[in-house]
Amino acid sequence: MENNSVSKYTISFGLSLALNSIINAVLVVAKEKNQTIMAGMQKITGNQWVTHSAIVVILFVIFGWLFARANNGQGLKIVVNRLAGIIVAGVVAGGLIITGFYLIAD
Amino acid sequence: MNEVILMVHVLFGVACMVTAVWLFVDVLHANEVNLNRIRRMSWAAAIFMWLAFLIAGYWYVVSYHVDKAIILNGPWPFAHSYFMETKEHLVIMLLLLVTYLPIAASNNLAANKDARWLVLWVTAGIVLLALMVEGHGAIIAMGVKVGLLAKQH
Repeated sequence: MENNSVSKYTISFGLSLALNSIINAVLVVAKEKNQTIMAGMQKITGNQWVTHSAIVVILFVIFGWLFARANNGQGLKIVVNRLAGIIVAGVVAGGLIITGFYLIAD
Repeated sequence: MNEVILMVHVLFGVACMVTAVWLFVDVLHANEVNLNRIRRMSWAAAIFMWLAFLIAGYWYVVSYHVDKAIILNGPWPFAHSYFMETKEHLVIMLLLLVTYLPIAASNNLAANKDARWLVLWVTAGIVLLALMVEGHGAIIAMGVKVGLLAKQH
């Protein structure tokens, strides 16, 4: 019989990937619509895009690590097929928000 | 030197995309024999993308302002206002996907059908997003070219 379970890091970082794809897109809208946020991000590293990238990558690591520590260190439990769906949904939604924003709203 | 940096970032981006296509096919036929190769190639894809990202990031911060001015004053301002703006943020998602790839590929793909499907979805996403940002890059380069051509006439 096949074993269809995956490592806790596969689940935790998969969920973090989906979440941070959305965060990435929301951050785009927030900084483009709010000059205070844009100026703040510019100030942190000297370039708003560098700050943006660093925030998303750092949050990816933090959330991946936090989700792996849930359930007394056993990590979040989720069926692998559902995880794949969540990742695809997160990436597609993030992509659509970014392309849609620059196409229509900006 | 600027042009070399620019081409090297494209080279690593294409290397990541080709590696992801290789992986997709290899994972479709995952077994005990190619399992180690799949894991090594997933690390290679991640390393290629990180190199492409870091080199492109350096170029974007240090040199892009010159191209940006040419594009915005030329006949294709959308090459920056739409294509560069979307590219520089879509590529962050691409970076997350390739960083996740070695984690997903660390499972036993030969014995685990669901894990295989997961890696197939991730590699397919990498290939599609990489193609998209490569296309965006081509339009940005064309934006510079038509901007320079317009200056001559």
